[in-house]
Amino acid sequence: MDFELSEEQQELQNGAIEFARKALNDDMIRRDHEEIFSHDGWMACAHFGVQGLPVPAEYGGMGLGISEVIAVMEGLGYGGRDQGLLFSLNAHLWTATLPIMFFGTEDQRRKYLPGLSNGELIGANGASEPDAGSDIFAMRMRAEKRGNTYVLNGTKTFVSNAPVAHLFVVYATIDAKLGPMGITGFLVDSNTPGLTVGRKLEKMGLRTSPMSEVVFDDCVIPVENRLGREGRGVAVFECSMEWERGCILANYLGLMRRQLESCIDYARNRKQFGKPIGKFQSVANRIVDMKVRLDACRPLVYRIGQLKQQNKAAVLESSIAKLLVSESLVKSCQDALQIFGGYGYMVEQGIERDLRDALGSTLYSGTSEIQRNIIAKSLGI
Amino acid sequence: MTTDNIEETLRQYILTEFLSGEKASNLHDDTPLRSSGVLDSVATLRLVAFVEEHFGITVEAHEASVENFESIQSIKAFIESKKN
Repeated sequence: MDFELSEEQQELQNGAIEFARKALNDDMIRRDHEEIFSHDGWMACAHFGVQGLPVPAEYGGMGLGISEVIAVMEGLGYGGRDQGLLFSLNAHLWTATLPIMFFGTEDQRRKYLPGLSNGELIGANGASEPDAGSDIFAMRMRAEKRGNTYVLNGTKTFVSNAPVAHLFVVYATIDAKLGPMGITGFLVDSNTPGLTVGRKLEKMGLRTSPMSEVVFDDCVIPVENRLGREGRGVAVFECSMEWERGCILANYLGLMRRQLESCIDYARNRKQFGKPIGKFQSVANRIVDMKVRLDACRPLVYRIGQLKQQNKAAVLESSIAKLLVSESLVKSCQDALQIFGGYGYMVEQGIERDLRDALGSTLYSGTSEIQRNIIAKSLGI
Repeated sequence: MTTDNIEETLRQYILTEFLSGEKASNLHDDTPLRSSGVLDSVATLRLVAFVEEHFGITVEAHEASVENFESIQSIKAFIESKKN
C-alpha cells in the first residue's frame, strides 16, 4: 500500500500548514493558561474550509475524501500550536457533523450541515456519564417517547465544546431493560428548554478546548430530532469512534514531525562539553526513537483513510492506530522535554504544553486499555 | 429462501465477521452467541443490520433481544416469524 501523499494531497497539506502558522498560533501561552477558546481561530478555520472538509458540497462543504482530510489535519497539526482548538475541531467533525452526514434524515442534513460546515454552528457530543466512561453503553440517560416528542433526562459529562456549542449529539436509552440495544441518538439545540450547560471543567491539557457537564431535565425535543433509528445509537456512536480514533490522530502526526525537526535542530546547535549535544548517543537515540515512532505511526493513520475510502470497516485498524499514535505521542513529547532540558520545562518553549495536551490522547476516544480490549477481542482472545 | 439457506447464510456471516479462524463445524445451530460473549452489543447490531438487509425484514429495538438473537436457531425462527 502506498501511503505517500499525492500531489493534490501535498498541496492541500502545504496550504493547511501555511494557514495554521499564520492564523492559529497567537498568544498561545496566555490562552492556554487562561483556558481561552479562540472563536477567531474557529472562524478562520471555517473560512479556510476545515469544518466542511468531508461534508458534501450540496450541504456547504468541500466534499473531500477522508485521505485528503487526514492530510489537511496533519498539516494543521504541523503548523498549528493550538492543540486544544484542533481537538475541538476534531470533536465537532467526527462526533457531531459525521453522524448527521451518515445517519441523519435529509431534513436534518439540510438543517444542520451548512451551519456545521461554515463555522456558525459548533457541535458537541454527549455520550459519557458520571457512571459510564469506558463502560459507555451502561449509560443511564433516558429518552421517553411522548406523542410526537422525546423527553430527555440525565447528565452527560466530559462534553468537549459544550460551553460554546450550538448543537449537541446525545445518546440516551429508550428502555433501560434493552441494555445497549435501547440506546438511541438525538440532536438537541443548545437553546432547548431543559438543557443546562454546567460549569467549565478545568483540564490538565487541551485547555483551549472548553469542556463541561450537560444536564437534561425534562428536555423536550421533537421526534424529528431523533438521529437514526430507535435502538441504533450504538451503531451511530461506534461509527463516530471509528472515524474519530483514526482522524483525530492526524494532527498529532504533524505535531510529532514538528517536534522531531525542532529536536534535530536543537541537537545540532546546542553545545555542551564542547560539542553539539546530538553527538551524545543518549540524545541521538531519543531523536532516533522519535523518528522511528513517527514513521511507524504515519502509515497506520493513512491506512484508515484508505479503508474508509473503499467503504471498508476500519474498527480494528482505528484501535491499533489510536493505541500506537497516542502512546507514541506521549513518549515523543517526553523525549522532546528531555532533549531541551531545563528550557523544555519552561512554559515559553511550548514543549510542556504539548506534553500536557498529549497525555489526554491516551484517555479520550477510548482509553489505551479499551483499545487493547478491542484488539484482543478481534484476535479471538 | 430455504431453511438450509437461512442457517448457512447466518453461519457463514458469523464465522467471517466474528469468529475468524474458527471451524464451521464448531458453530452449531444452538451454540449460544449472546450469553457466551461471542456477540457483544456492537457485534449484535452489526448482525441485526445484516439480517435486515439480507432477509428484507425490519428489526425493532425491542426485537434485538437475547431471546431472538441467542443462536442461529433462534435467529432463524425470528426471521421466519417476521416473514410470515
